[in-house]
Formats: sequence, C-alpha cells, structure tokens
Amino acid sequence: MNIRVETRNPREGVAVIGLGGEVDVYTSPRLKQEILDLLNGGTSKLVVDLSGVEYLDSTGLGVLIGGLKRARERDGDLKLICDNLRILRIFEITGLTKIFDIYRSEAEALEKL
Amino acid sequence: MPDEIPSFEAELKIPPRAEFVGVARLSIARVASLMPFTFDDVEDIRLAIGEACTRAIERLQTPAPGQQIRLPCTGYEDRLVIEVHSPLGAATEGGSPGSDEDLGAMLVQILMDELTEEARSEQGEHVLRMVKYVNR
Repeated sequence: MNIRVETRNPREGVAVIGLGGEVDVYTSPRLKQEILDLLNGGTSKLVVDLSGVEYLDSTGLGVLIGGLKRARERDGDLKLICDNLRILRIFEITGLTKIFDIYRSEAEALEKL
Repeated sequence: MPDEIPSFEAELKIPPRAEFVGVARLSIARVASLMPFTFDDVEDIRLAIGEACTRAIERLQTPAPGQQIRLPCTGYEDRLVIEVHSPLGAATEGGSPGSDEDLGAMLVQILMDELTEEARSEQGEHVLRMVKYVNR
C-alpha cells in the first residue's frame, strides 16, 4: 500500500502532479502537503493526474476539494486527468463531476487551464 | 422459521490506525471474491470497507492502547454480511455537510445494499452492519 507523487512544471506557474497507487486516509496527507507546498510557493494552476491511481477514497476526494478551493482563492485552478472508469465512478456517485473539470489527457487539461 | 445456516464465517481484527485500513479492505475484498460477486461488486465492497474503517478511526480520534476494530463477515448463498465493530469515540456521530466523513458515509450507503448503524453504549462499541447481495 503506497502512494507515488511526482510533480513537474510543464510551463511557468503550472504544475502537474502525477499520482500513483492508493490515495486513502493513510496516504492522502502526502498529496495534501504537495498541493500546499505548490500553492504556498506561488504555483496556483494545478493539474492532478489520477491515471496511475488504483484506489481513491473520501479522504483523497477531500484533499482534492480543498486543493481546488485554495487554488481558486489564489486565482488559480485545479483540474484532473482521469481515464480509469472505477475512479471516475467515485466522482460521479458523489456528484463531484459537477465541481471538477476532468479530462482524459494532459494536453487537454493544460489547454483549458 | 429455522435459522439460516451461513456458508462461512470469518473475522478480522485491526488496530484503529490509518495504516491498517488498507489491510482491512484487501482482506475483506479477498473474502468477497470467494463468493460469486462481479468484479465491480468486489470493488464496491473494498471501497465501502475502507470508508467504514476510516470513519471508525476518525470517530475515535485518539485510540487507547489495545483498542481494536473487529470485522466479522458472514457469507450466505445470496449475500455477504460485514460488520464493523469499533470502540465508541468521543466525537459526535456524522460529519458536517460536505466533509470527508459525510462523503464517506454517502459512498457506503450507495455502494452497499443494506446498512444499519447502532451505538451499543453498554458494550462501549459502535456497530455498522453492511449487506451486499449477489446478483443485485
């Protein structure tokens, strides 16, 4: 049980956080800290790539919601990349597809940011 | 009416700590996969168990030494019954609207077919009972 977090900057002021593994009550503080570090460092346009995520629970959803809120408070945004139907279903049944912009590819997410 | 005889009974105990939630969901998902559930059903059970254990841990806040979460599972021909027995915590039941706990409770309710919750103050435990039916 683990989480992988890899961040890169495809252009100035923009960060893509690539996630892998399981995002749950144990591992989600790692994601939360990464988002907070980026926002506090002045990067407020974020893309979280969930393509490698095998498991996501309500704690992980809470971290993403908090990240979106904080990014927008700084005139930024947080967009998601996800093509895993199981993970997409969690966003759908919780109604979070209405809150998050979810894209299938990084190019598409970056274009809309 | 005679009591229904279960196909099997199994029980898991974990410490009420975040790092053990993954152990619980993988173990119970393995138990569920012994029954004729679809892959999606097993994934639903896995997520529901994770959410139920997370809620139990968050409700406890600071667990006392030796406290445990107990997860008895009973398999019948047509359903799997999973209970999550956790020590009663100091926190109030239920999360504020929009909180992680609120989202977790919503997920458990949607993913499982039946759900009952009970605080047994005499035994000092909270019991969440979840049922998933085969082919429903």
